[in-house]
Amino acid sequence: MPVIEVRGLEKTFTLKTKPEGLAASLRSLVRPLRREVRAVRGVDFEVEEGEVVAFLGPNGAGKSTTIKMLCGILEPSGGRATVLGLDPSRQRTRLAASIGAVFGQKSQLWFHLPPSDSFSLLGAIYEIPRPELARRRAELVERFSIGPYMDTPVRKLSLGERVRCEVAASLLHAPRLLFLDEPTIGLDVVAKREIRLLLEELRKRDGVTIFLTSHDIGDIEKICKRAIIIHHGQVVVDESMKELKHRALAKKRLAVKYAGPVDFASLAAPGLTILKSTADAASLEVDTRLHRLPELIRALVDRGEVLDITVEDEPLEDLIAEVFEGEDAEAARAGAAPEALPADDSRGEAAAGARP
Amino acid sequence: MRAATGGSPPFSLAAKVRKYSEAARLGLRNRLAYKGNVAGRLLTYCLFVFVFSRIWTSVFEGRPPIEGYGKEAAIWYFIVAEISAFGFARFFGTVGEDVKSGQIAYLLARPYSFVGYSFAQAIGPTLYDASLLALAGGILGSLFAGPIPLQGPAQALALLASLLLAACLQYLLQTALALTAFWVEENSAFYWIYQKFVLVCGTLIPLEFLPDVAQRVAFLTPIPWLTWAPARILSRWSPEAAPGMLLAQLAWTLAAAALCGLVFSLGRRRLVAQGG
Repeated sequence: MPVIEVRGLEKTFTLKTKPEGLAASLRSLVRPLRREVRAVRGVDFEVEEGEVVAFLGPNGAGKSTTIKMLCGILEPSGGRATVLGLDPSRQRTRLAASIGAVFGQKSQLWFHLPPSDSFSLLGAIYEIPRPELARRRAELVERFSIGPYMDTPVRKLSLGERVRCEVAASLLHAPRLLFLDEPTIGLDVVAKREIRLLLEELRKRDGVTIFLTSHDIGDIEKICKRAIIIHHGQVVVDESMKELKHRALAKKRLAVKYAGPVDFASLAAPGLTILKSTADAASLEVDTRLHRLPELIRALVDRGEVLDITVEDEPLEDLIAEVFEGEDAEAARAGAAPEALPADDSRGEAAAGARP
Repeated sequence: MRAATGGSPPFSLAAKVRKYSEAARLGLRNRLAYKGNVAGRLLTYCLFVFVFSRIWTSVFEGRPPIEGYGKEAAIWYFIVAEISAFGFARFFGTVGEDVKSGQIAYLLARPYSFVGYSFAQAIGPTLYDASLLALAGGILGSLFAGPIPLQGPAQALALLASLLLAACLQYLLQTALALTAFWVEENSAFYWIYQKFVLVCGTLIPLEFLPDVAQRVAFLTPIPWLTWAPARILSRWSPEAAPGMLLAQLAWTLAAAALCGLVFSLGRRRLVAQGG
C-alpha cells in the first residue's frame, strides 16, 4: 500500500488584488477585486514506503502548497490525498502523530531556549513516554552529533547546527514519513553534506519515507531515488533519478584547449552548440543522438594541437531547467500560457496568511 | 530506531496533561529568558494604581461610600481589576500575528489542539507577569488603602479562582477576536473596541457606579466577568455571592471556549499559506 496516494489534487486560492492609485483603493473599498490562483491543478502520484522522492519545481510551482495539503495544513479545493491511510485534512491530528515535517525557513525550536527544552516539549506533544523519550533523544543526539549544542540557546547556534537540531527534533517521534521542505536552504557546503549523509543513513537504517523539496540539485542527486517535477501546479515529470540522469546523458559538455588559435565558428551545427570560446579554447554542448562522440573528438583533434580535452555529462540542474522551459514554451505555443502565480516560494511567509 | 505505527497513540489523560503543561512550562521559561521585559508593564501598572488611588482619595474625601464602595474598597477594586485588564491583555496580539504571518500553518502540523496549545504556551508567562503586578499592587494598595482586605482562606481561594477564570476568559475572547484575521486583514479595531468596553464596564470604575440600564446591558455580556468579578471578591467580599459569581465566570468561560473552537474550525478552512 502506498504511503502517499494523491489523485487529482487541486488547490485554488482567492486573492484580493489592489491596483495602483488612490481611486483604485477607494473603488476596492466598495467592490474589492479578487482573482483566483490555481496553485495546484490535478496532481497525481503515489509514493511507496521507504522511497526517497524529490519534489521539484521552480518558485510558485505548487510544491509547498502540495506539501501543506499532504500534512493537513491546507484543505484541498479538489481531488483527494491519502497519507499513511489517513485523510490529511480530516484527520490532521492523527496524521501529525506519524509524520515529521521540517520547513527550512521555519523553525520548530524555541529561539531563546536551548534545543533540549524544545525536545522535551516535542516529546510531550507526541506523547512519547518519558523513558522512551530519553532513549530516543540520546540516540538522536549521538547520531546527529548535537550533544554540545543541546544546552545552548537556539539563537546562539549557527544555521548548520540549528538545522541539525531541527531534523533531529522532527525524528523524535520516529515518524514513518518525513516531509522536508528546503532543508538545506542557506547552509554552507559542509553543513549540507552532513545533513545529506544523515538523511541517507535515515533511509538506509530506518526505512523512513522521505519527501523532499529542494532547489539544491546536490540534495536531489545525493539523497533521492525518484523525482517528481511540478510546474504551474501540474506534474510534468515523474521518473526515477536513473531515468532522469539518463536523459542528461543524451547531452555532453566538452571543453577543449589548443596550443594555438583555432577556428571554432565552423564547428557549429544542429545538436552542437558552442557555449563559449576564446582564440585557443572552447566549451561545447553536444547532443549525442545527433553526433557520435568519438567522431567529434577526432574532428577536434584534427583542428590543431590539443593540450587538454574533457567530457562531462550535462548538469542535472540544467536538465531540470530545460524541462521547465520546455513546458513554458509548449504552453505558449498552445496559446494557453498559464496564469502568473503570485506566490514566489522564496518569499515564504510574506505570502502566507489568512484569506481576506 | 523503529518506525512508529500510523495514527495517534492510545488515549492517556496524563499524556494530554503533560502535553499542555510542558507548553506552559516552556512558555514560562521563555519569558524568564528576558526577565527585564516585565519592567515596563510593571511601571505602567504602578503609575495607573498611583493615579487612581489619588483620584479615589479625592473623590471620597469627607464623603460616604458610593454603592457600598469607600475609598479603600475602590482602590483595592482598581488594583485587582487592572491585573485582569492590563495583565491579561497580550493574547490578542500573539494569536493574531500567528494567523496574519502564516505561522499558524506550521503550528497546525502537530498533534494538538491549536487553541489549547496556544493557551498553554501563553498562560505561563501571563501568570508570571500577573503575579508581579499583584505583588506590586499589594504593596501599593497597602500604602494607599491600608491592609489587604482578605478575611480568610475562602476569600483568598475565591479571588485566585476568579482571577484564573478571568485569565482563561480573556484568552478565549481575545483569541476568538484574533482569529477573525482569517476573514479580515486588519482586525485590530475589534480589539480596540473590546478593550474600551473592558475599561468602561468594570475596570476604571466599579460596575455598580454605572447607570442601572448600562449595568443590565453589561451583564448580558462576558465583560463584567473579566474584571468586576475578581475585583469585587477582594474589595467587597460576600461569601454568599461568591459561588454564584464563580459559576457565572465558569459558564462564560465554557461558552467562550465553544465560540473560540467554532471560529477556529471555520477560519482554518480559509487559511492561505502559499510559498515555502
